[in-house]
Amino acid sequence: MTPKIRLHDVSKSFAVGTRSIRTLENVALSLKGGDFVTLVGPSGCGKSTLFNILVGLTAPDPGGELFIDGALQPADHLLGRVAFMPQRDMLMPWRTVLDNAILAAEIDGVPKAEARKRALASLDRFGLRGFENHYPDQLSGGMRQRVALMRTFMFERDIMLLDEPFGALDALTRALMQRWLLEVWEGAKRTVLFITHDIDEAIFLGDRVLVMSARPGHIKTELQVPLPRPRKPDVLTSPTFVDLKRTLLAAVEDESRKAFAATNQQQLQSGDF
Amino acid sequence: MIALVALMLAWEAATLLFQISADKLPALSSVLATAWAGRAAMAEAVWTTLFEALIGLSAGIAFGVLSGIVFSSFRLLERMLLPYFIASQAVPIIAFGAIIVIWFGNGIASKAVIAFYLSFFPVAVNTLGGIRRVSKDEIGLLRTFGAGRLTILWKLQLPTALPPIFTAIRIGAGLALVGAIVGEWFGASRGLGVVLLTAMFDNQVTQLWAAILLTGLTGTALFWTVVALQKKIAWWQTEV
Repeated sequence: MTPKIRLHDVSKSFAVGTRSIRTLENVALSLKGGDFVTLVGPSGCGKSTLFNILVGLTAPDPGGELFIDGALQPADHLLGRVAFMPQRDMLMPWRTVLDNAILAAEIDGVPKAEARKRALASLDRFGLRGFENHYPDQLSGGMRQRVALMRTFMFERDIMLLDEPFGALDALTRALMQRWLLEVWEGAKRTVLFITHDIDEAIFLGDRVLVMSARPGHIKTELQVPLPRPRKPDVLTSPTFVDLKRTLLAAVEDESRKAFAATNQQQLQSGDF
Repeated sequence: MIALVALMLAWEAATLLFQISADKLPALSSVLATAWAGRAAMAEAVWTTLFEALIGLSAGIAFGVLSGIVFSSFRLLERMLLPYFIASQAVPIIAFGAIIVIWFGNGIASKAVIAFYLSFFPVAVNTLGGIRRVSKDEIGLLRTFGAGRLTILWKLQLPTALPPIFTAIRIGAGLALVGAIVGEWFGASRGLGVVLLTAMFDNQVTQLWAAILLTGLTGTALFWTVVALQKKIAWWQTEV
């Protein structure tokens, strides 16, 4: 079956001063339609760069290829193909919850009235009923993330990229949001790539977990998650889960140490501490 | 409010206690009485000057916002023209006063031009600064939605710039009023500047103080009107 999205030989270097930093090196990944794949990696491994390439904000170095539904995508055609949710919600303080939720759809060309109607119908699913006319400053962190997620879901694309959306939330809220996200996703059946630092989260949410290496980043490990769906909270302590976690911890720990050493090396060389 | 009453009492008391001559500092009571006696003429003067200031301020806001937008998009233009903008503010407007009257006549136009001249710069600078406050991440996000440059300007950059623009308008409003008054000093038949000048020449000290108080009041009212507008339009970020 043709993968929904496939990356082949994607590399990226940035010029920093006189040096060239190789952020990504021959990244290859493939997602089937309807997959929920999580990506874990140490800080600075190039996750953000990878996402910027996937949404079309950055082009890969020549030679890198990106396929959607089997068709090769020219780098400048990617913008607007993928629904992106960044780490910070970046809600507009001058817009109500409702108008923030429709922002992406509105820019996409959906008439405002129609978009508002659709958003109103989804309020319950996103747990925002009663808050549609509130402003972002009046909401808690978890609610703001739900508004941002609603905005992302309303931008109707097959592929969704979520960059650590729950990173800033406390553990309890995060656990609730994870379960809630899976419910919403199961209703919508999009293909999701989800970045996280949290290994529990990566295993709990994903069909597969990809581990990214330290810089220059590439996919070092891929782990299948054979846990049944829908995922119940008690799965976090099941033997299968614990086994997966053990494997992943080892892989990520390894890369984190390399990334940390690399940063120290860099600081020693450049002389700033 | 309490401070105001205290100040008024202090003024009145001081003139009585220290027996200050009416030439140096008239009692507040006589100043107020003079103002009240000439209230019709005073009101007309206020409206005239206010009108001149508002026309100049409106033009200053329009030009300032436009310049800010253009400079934010075209770095080259910013580097070429902004130095001249800055230089324009270094020269005291009084130096240009006579020239402006020669060019624009004795009527409202010359006063409005001076008001414009003094108010556009803060607005331009704050528009540019406000637009630049938008992070690359925010712009990037909108681009992933398929937004073009104009959409990003209209939906993201301008609203972000609105609070600092209003802060600049607060400053610009006061400058515009001063500009209109100073403009009247170079040639006018009506307005607060005329009242001030006439009182000075005729050595009508009480009248002079009345005009000064009125000018202060007008400026204050203008300032708080802008603040009220800011609370309505850029309500999500209103610091005084």
